Amino acid sequence: MKNTILKICLMGLVLLGNYSLQAQSKSTISGYVKDVANGEGLIGVSVYVREAQTGVTTNTYGFYSITLPSGNYNVVYSYIGYEKRIKTIDLTTDQTLNIELGSESEQLQEVTVSTRRDDENVRSIEMSVNKVDMKTIKKMPALLGEVDLIRSIQLLPGVTTVGEGASGFNVRGGDVSQNLVLLDEAPVYNSSHLFGFFSVFNPDAVKDVKLIKGGIPAQYGGRISSILDVRMKEGNSKKREVNGGIGTIFSRLTYEQPFAKGKGSFIVAGRRSYIDILSKPFLKKDLRDSKFNFYDLTAKVNYQLGNKDTFFASGYFGKDVFGGGDFGFGWGNATATGRWNHIFSNKLFMNLTGYYSNYDYSLGQNTNDPNAKDKFDWKSKIISTSIKPDFTYYLTPNNQLTFGGQYIRYDSRPGKATAISEGETTDISLEPRYADESALYIGNEQKLGRVSLQYGLRYSFYRSLGPSTEYDYLEVEKGQRKLPIFPGTSYGDGDVIKTYGNWEPRFSVNVGITTNTSIKASYNRTSQYLHLLSNTAASSPLDVWTMSSAVIKPELADQIALGWFQNFRDNTFEASVEVYYKKLYNQIDYVPGSDLLLNQFVPGDLLFGDGRAYGAEFYLKKNKGKLTGWVSYTLSRTERKVETISNDNWFPARFDKPHNFTAVAIYDLTDRLALSSNFTITSGTPATFPTNRYGYNGWALGHNYDGTRNGSRIPAYHRLDLAATLKSKRKLFKTGDGEWVFSVYNVYNRRNPFSVYTQVNEDNALRTEAVKYSVIGSFIPSVTYNFKF
Amino acid sequence: MKRYMNILKRISLVVAPAMLLLTGCEDIIDLNVDSGPSQLVVDGWITNQPGVQQISLSLSAPYFNNGPATPVTNASVLVEDNEGNVYEFLDVDQDGIYEWGTAQDTLGRIGRTYLLTITTDGEVYTADTEIRRVPQVDSVVYQKETLPIDPDNGPKEGYIAQFYARDFVGEGDNYWIKPVVDGQARVDRPSNISIAYDAAFNAGAPSDGLIFILPLRQSITTDSLYSAGNSVGVELHSITNEAFEFLKQVQQQASNGGLFATPVQNIFSNVVNSNPNGPKALGFFGASAVSRKETVIDPSKARPEE
Repeated sequence: MKNTILKICLMGLVLLGNYSLQAQSKSTISGYVKDVANGEGLIGVSVYVREAQTGVTTNTYGFYSITLPSGNYNVVYSYIGYEKRIKTIDLTTDQTLNIELGSESEQLQEVTVSTRRDDENVRSIEMSVNKVDMKTIKKMPALLGEVDLIRSIQLLPGVTTVGEGASGFNVRGGDVSQNLVLLDEAPVYNSSHLFGFFSVFNPDAVKDVKLIKGGIPAQYGGRISSILDVRMKEGNSKKREVNGGIGTIFSRLTYEQPFAKGKGSFIVAGRRSYIDILSKPFLKKDLRDSKFNFYDLTAKVNYQLGNKDTFFASGYFGKDVFGGGDFGFGWGNATATGRWNHIFSNKLFMNLTGYYSNYDYSLGQNTNDPNAKDKFDWKSKIISTSIKPDFTYYLTPNNQLTFGGQYIRYDSRPGKATAISEGETTDISLEPRYADESALYIGNEQKLGRVSLQYGLRYSFYRSLGPSTEYDYLEVEKGQRKLPIFPGTSYGDGDVIKTYGNWEPRFSVNVGITTNTSIKASYNRTSQYLHLLSNTAASSPLDVWTMSSAVIKPELADQIALGWFQNFRDNTFEASVEVYYKKLYNQIDYVPGSDLLLNQFVPGDLLFGDGRAYGAEFYLKKNKGKLTGWVSYTLSRTERKVETISNDNWFPARFDKPHNFTAVAIYDLTDRLALSSNFTITSGTPATFPTNRYGYNGWALGHNYDGTRNGSRIPAYHRLDLAATLKSKRKLFKTGDGEWVFSVYNVYNRRNPFSVYTQVNEDNALRTEAVKYSVIGSFIPSVTYNFKF
Repeated sequence: MKRYMNILKRISLVVAPAMLLLTGCEDIIDLNVDSGPSQLVVDGWITNQPGVQQISLSLSAPYFNNGPATPVTNASVLVEDNEGNVYEFLDVDQDGIYEWGTAQDTLGRIGRTYLLTITTDGEVYTADTEIRRVPQVDSVVYQKETLPIDPDNGPKEGYIAQFYARDFVGEGDNYWIKPVVDGQARVDRPSNISIAYDAAFNAGAPSDGLIFILPLRQSITTDSLYSAGNSVGVELHSITNEAFEFLKQVQQQASNGGLFATPVQNIFSNVVNSNPNGPKALGFFGASAVSRKETVIDPSKARPEE
């Protein structure tokens, strides 16, 4: 293991050495590109050198570097929605060139949907990547007027959900736990408020969102299906700014301010739901002390020290609180990220990230009453702390090397629970679990004329650590619960119980056919050492993240994708068709009657199998003009194969939706008024229905004669939403802007099924019937007021 | 799992009034499903209590067939214990209910194992089980309770009954807790099945030798509160771990609705056809030792409301 890491390092050094030698007669221009209005680094700005016919784009921190032979050059900085800037330089020695770009006239900026280079779709090496601009998300119709990142992502090709109101999203056949959701590089373990109706990201505090479904670069690891990379907004470093909104569910307030003469800035954003406050007068006496609210607080501060160093610190804290009388339930995430950007030389850029992420939930009865004779107190949490250096080495204009590593320490308390029964205390806590995960990676992005390549290798290494007691499990009957074999093996503090290592090759290629057309292909292998155990239709906040062990092996996935990308009408339209095939290994399923919570023998309740997913995604997006938006259609299959389930055959996964069509349109009618609509139609989710019934002890039980899982399908899902955004004429506090957002969700009042299930009639135990369950049973209008000054 | 689902249900009850807009809705619909061939269903449970012991045989039917099940008659039904005693069950009424003994006879003995053999239609089915020890029920008590909102069933003000008993020392005792109302032990629907592993919910949460924990003690109060004058009580049945698994799967199958539904899975059966290629049977043959306690709710003796 150590040898292999050493080899990678050596390989990297050799590569670096070679290229350094070659580059000696050349000079480098490097620097940051920022927004003149608020000083925020701009991601993905095109830096193009006309004479050399070559260019680069700025990284996630707005940094760029390009090395050229000495000479006179015109360097063009362009970014959609911003004024183009051309710098004439006489390149004889290395130069630092920090550029600020100003946005184009107000009106033009408003019609922009995508803050990126307008032909990036075709030119970049990235495939299977969707970026949705926050400005677009804010204009789209939203449930109860609450702009929501996760709900917007569900409208993209290749993304599905198990149903309305369900937590998370499913990407190309992966389950919700297989998405790495990063908020300023810290993983967010549960991205939902109110069981999944809303997500934890405050739209006013988000700068950039990127969903990577395939061709995952080597710097990312830890989840097998996708990366949702959410970058928090930096505070305005030019002037104080206040944003806010009053909505149906939340109220929001964001405050930004520069300090140290613009070298630093901070942003603080908070949201709180207030249905509890609003409904209080309507509740009867006993329910008045009920608690149900959710809130989140997001903050970020950044400071630039000299030309070479920038520091960022950001954090998120959110909670959902429910309770009534003696009973309480709550969950929440807390993340903290510290980052240091350092420019070692004009060619070597480093970002060092350290993060802390904690997800916890608690559930209890009488926990606040010291005299109660019966109490129940249950807490669960998972903490991960990590350090992650990432380097970018700008070798030549045609070679951009990235390398780095990551170390993560996991500390999980899957269930700390005590039950006090008639004063008798029982500790039914599960043992804490410890593990660590380390990774090293190296990758290169290389241009060879019309062909661009991105290739890399990641090695991840996982250790399950003591103290712990580990059991083997005895299979009494195939497919049924396995029983622990006593006594287990005890491991001491820090003992290594089990290790896993995985090589994860990553490869992408872009072949330019014309300036407007390209073909792209990618392959990636990914591995995942943390598993979310969930046997319910929608993931619940009580689901426990469980670490790999001798019994629970790491999940792996291989994905290949092939795509055709074309832009036309001067990049007004971008179109793409992608096909993918994904194979997933060591996927988790559950025995009948599985008990996943507060069960120290939970590995005995798990079954393991494989998954496969394949599909074609068609995407047409209009970026410019008064009418913008996209149309997407995905044709796909997602299947699982698990021993004993469905007679050992492949069966459709719970979120398999063969057809998935979405249309999003935003129309800027006047300067003040914008209209928007979403339309979605998808196949119904699969379901298992009993074919036969039998009587036992007076109960009518169901039985599926041929034992197939998910052999039927519930009716299709379709929904239309509309919204209008109207800017106020009057200036708020003389300088500010205000806008009203009116929206209607589920316009034609369809009761879309979340599930169809069978039951015995409540009044007649002999009668069996089928029930359609809809999460949202009517159309939902809402009004939101947003302001900014 | 049901316990947590109850918690979630309870939360949605608390949240629902405020989230009028988001409350889900349920509609009864027509569903076309194919049906499979009928299978033998065994519904048998013997105890150590005096009285007629019954084993019912019937056939499974298409799922939406709402008539009574077709009985299986003219089968041979024998139960044999590990000491060589053979008990023949007879279907005198030709209704598929095979009976042994009279009101005074006792079949089950704690510590013995029982083998059921059914011969019907040329097939021989067997199932085995065991009668395990059961602790005494110490008491049944009740407490006044006022619900925050008007319930669908039962009174708004009434009584929550609970029982007290202590699990035996020694890991792995399994129990089925049945409410007794007006002298009848009844579990009217699978979602109300209450089973215990030692004094708590499962093997993975150790609770050996304790007083049954609160949610289990109160599990004799099911869908509604009791009223003054009701005769309430508990029957505590010792069961095998296999029976525990069976009942758990029955219970889980009933929790297939809502946002946190669990997928429908077939419930296993301990009745096995001696011909591995022959038709499979459904149902379960179980056996229990029973301890029982009852009381009549007297408001003057109720524990005060908390």
